[in-house]
Amino acid sequence: MKGIIFNIEEFAVHDGPGIRKLVFFKGCPLHCSWCHNPEGISFRKELMVSQTACTRCGKCTEVCSSDTCIVCGKCVGVCPLRLRKICGEEIEAADLAVRLLKGRDILISSGGGITISGGEPLAQPAFLFDLLRHLKPLHIAVETSGYASEDTFLRMLSEVNLVLMDIKHTDPVIHRKYTGVDNSLIMRNLKHLCEASVDFCIRIPLIPGVNDSRENMKMTAQLLKDAKNLKKVEFLPYHQTAGAKYGMVGSVFNPGFNTSEVVSIRKEIFEDYHIRVDVL
Amino acid sequence: MNRRIKKLLDDVFQKKHHSLRQNIDEKELLHFTLSLKEQKLPDIIRAQKRLTWVLEKEDPVILPDEKIVFTRTVAKIPEIFTDDEWNGIKKTHHIHEMGRICNICSNYSYTIGVGLEYRRHEVRQALEKFRLQKEQRAVPFLEAVIRAIDDIENLADRYADLALKSGREDLFLVLKRIPRYGARSFREALQFFRILHYSLWASGNYHNTIGRFDQYMFRYLKNDLDAGVLDDDTALELLEEFFISFNKDSDLYPGMQQGDNGQSMVLGGVDEEGNDAFNLLSEMCLKASLELKLIDPKINLRVTKNTPIEIYDLGTELTKQGLGFPQYSNDEVVIPGLLAKGYELKDARNYVVAACWEFIIPGEGMDIPNITALSFAKVVDAAIKKHLGPSAGFGPFMDKVKQEIKLELASLVSVLKNSYTEPAPLQSLLMNGCIEQGLDVSLGAKYNNYGIHGTGISTAVDSLAAIKKLVFEERSVSANELIRAINRNFEGDDDLWLKLKYDSPKMGNDDDFADNIAVQLLKDFAGLTGSLVNERGGCFRPGSGSAMYYLWHAKELGASADGRKKGEALSTNFSPGLNVKLNGPLSIIRSFSKPDMKEIMNGGPLTLELHDTVFRNPESIRKVSSLVKAYMELGGHQLQINAVNREQLLDAKEHPELHRNLIVRVWGWSGYFTELDEAYQDHIIQRVELTIQ
Repeated sequence: MKGIIFNIEEFAVHDGPGIRKLVFFKGCPLHCSWCHNPEGISFRKELMVSQTACTRCGKCTEVCSSDTCIVCGKCVGVCPLRLRKICGEEIEAADLAVRLLKGRDILISSGGGITISGGEPLAQPAFLFDLLRHLKPLHIAVETSGYASEDTFLRMLSEVNLVLMDIKHTDPVIHRKYTGVDNSLIMRNLKHLCEASVDFCIRIPLIPGVNDSRENMKMTAQLLKDAKNLKKVEFLPYHQTAGAKYGMVGSVFNPGFNTSEVVSIRKEIFEDYHIRVDVL
Repeated sequence: MNRRIKKLLDDVFQKKHHSLRQNIDEKELLHFTLSLKEQKLPDIIRAQKRLTWVLEKEDPVILPDEKIVFTRTVAKIPEIFTDDEWNGIKKTHHIHEMGRICNICSNYSYTIGVGLEYRRHEVRQALEKFRLQKEQRAVPFLEAVIRAIDDIENLADRYADLALKSGREDLFLVLKRIPRYGARSFREALQFFRILHYSLWASGNYHNTIGRFDQYMFRYLKNDLDAGVLDDDTALELLEEFFISFNKDSDLYPGMQQGDNGQSMVLGGVDEEGNDAFNLLSEMCLKASLELKLIDPKINLRVTKNTPIEIYDLGTELTKQGLGFPQYSNDEVVIPGLLAKGYELKDARNYVVAACWEFIIPGEGMDIPNITALSFAKVVDAAIKKHLGPSAGFGPFMDKVKQEIKLELASLVSVLKNSYTEPAPLQSLLMNGCIEQGLDVSLGAKYNNYGIHGTGISTAVDSLAAIKKLVFEERSVSANELIRAINRNFEGDDDLWLKLKYDSPKMGNDDDFADNIAVQLLKDFAGLTGSLVNERGGCFRPGSGSAMYYLWHAKELGASADGRKKGEALSTNFSPGLNVKLNGPLSIIRSFSKPDMKEIMNGGPLTLELHDTVFRNPESIRKVSSLVKAYMELGGHQLQINAVNREQLLDAKEHPELHRNLIVRVWGWSGYFTELDEAYQDHIIQRVELTIQ
């Protein structure tokens, strides 16, 4: 079974226990306005150009034969600084597993494993489950928005060791406004997660003026208060660098909120429910 | 750190004590040297007279609140030969660096334990024996040693007098006991060390290493703790003051750069019986270093297969500070490596590191572990130009590379003849066997081996990997085309240059295609050095360190077959190429543990750079520790991690091509710093300014 990925990181320190390799699935059904990995949104390959060090030597335009980018990759190899790359690689699950399992002894002896992130891993379910089959018995974590069919979500819960799930907003209208989708599916899956026997962490991207209000935090904490396998909540405060890669994929960062506003970090709301909070 | 230590630290930072330094006229120094010449004194007497001159000239200084004293006020040390004399010596002798004893490790422990009066007694006994034998060389040497003991005791007496005058009875009592007699307490032992170390520097010796401090000082600490003389806090306070003392005069110490002074301290590892020896003092040293954040002493942490992850965590906490240490070395690799080179088991288990990373034996080794350096990139370049065209395949070409290594080694070694080093009576007192044998340490000790650095390993491996792929497997480039392109510094050869630079296998990606070449290259290096013997009967030790040679060797080289252009630096130490983007740290440690590092036993660390935000919380600290441990379990010999700091980020901004692997944590994710737009780079730099504290 083939799928599409856009990166493998070898030493992810904040995405599950121990030393972990982290694979990013390409493509996501959500379009969060603060997304820091815009190259993870599209399910297709795309050209990425790092503009910072570009000397405008013109070699890329010399070889280009198309008015709009057809992702042919001709310009990638001629850039003397290799500032261009085709983002996205179609790969067989078995081949991906071989790559991820290389050096597995280090992952195992450190109590680590593999984390599957994205994009949205559950948006390529057949590829995901095929990959999981090849990776077992390694410790597997999946990082998800929770936006997936309940069947897929439940099956994932039964096959992994740790789930890292985002909660962006409890209010469906605001959720739709900033992520492009309704949150009812996410809320149903969150309920499954809270009842499941798999360990999980909740990640909250703290976006100033969007979801960092006392009410939303309180609502979120209440959703989690009885979950028996919740290890902790992780806050990811919005950071100015979120927009860094938009230019690289030829799009414009248009977050739709005041990015310079100070974000509120309300750990105590969760701590009142005896939920541990880490700020990443 | 308590208030007293904070103040001592601030004073050292502000260099307050520099105002106490004497104004010494160059003429006075020259006059001293000239008088030695006019008296036609032998070198051993000259060396002795120099130490006498310096120590007699010293003014005792007791800084406010100081418990451990001895501060240099004589900032300059005279030469013992005039320029003319020295040039004459150089004509007929090989001179290593400054021609003085350096980069070895004293046996401080014995003298601190028994005191200088007992040592004097030993020297006198030897002197009587050699006088009866009418030994010409031993007698003046031993007399010089006795004079060195006199000089140190005299200065200590003057310090004691000043202590009394200043109402510092505590200090007076310490200095009345040591250095004449053995230390009884932790404080006395630390003060004794300080006096010996200070006097070594005053002798003109340099890169005076500290050795296994946690082992030889532990008994004093333990006695005091058991007796209730000290508790954990007061012991740490003393230790911190002692650590600060290494930074008082360090600007006066000779070295390539400020900070290159060889004050290496080695903690942990196995004892002489092979038991794990990390102790309370080892831990206390790590804590002191963590609190003080000083570049001296430089901490080295020996680890074994039994070292628990918690000890690595203590090391990682220190790495987080961005000081560039601890440097880890692996007993499981280093000790067998030393044994294979003829070191005795007891000695091998006692190994320490010299100024940088070379493994030496305290009290026993007069090894010169940095005597010369083999440029792998140069060897490969020579092989390409002479032999690539006619070579029928990659295997035969590698045989030619080996032949070139042999030629280069022969050439490097051929100049190491008739070596001369200035005598060092005090240093000899602190080395085992010199007194009994009546021989100055400059003439040798138990081990007299030479170390050869191996530089530009990754550049050489990457060049060979490109050749194997493009010239011999794909046959897409001919030998002549490659040679022409290298000679032209790739001018007009952009396509080939891109292929070499970006599309050829690189060492550090866990790719056997490249890594196996490194295995072969280092095996050849080890094999070829194995048959060499130096003029002192010692062996040659191959190493993977580069020191400053990575710049020097780059200068004598044109472009290389890995796509490196003329003028670009070689990779440093045992590390991936500078401009090579790799998969990540796991691939790097796997690649760099494939060669048999037991054979490359002169040392030279793999250096990894991690952004300091990777060290954010206890969980991620543990992960870095696991990474270090993993390298050791894979058979790595030595490792050092840099928590990347602001300066490096600024440099990365200026020269992104040199920092392709610099990973930064940006919000909830990690990215490559050089791929970020400028505004974001600046933002991260600003943030680092805040987080680095």
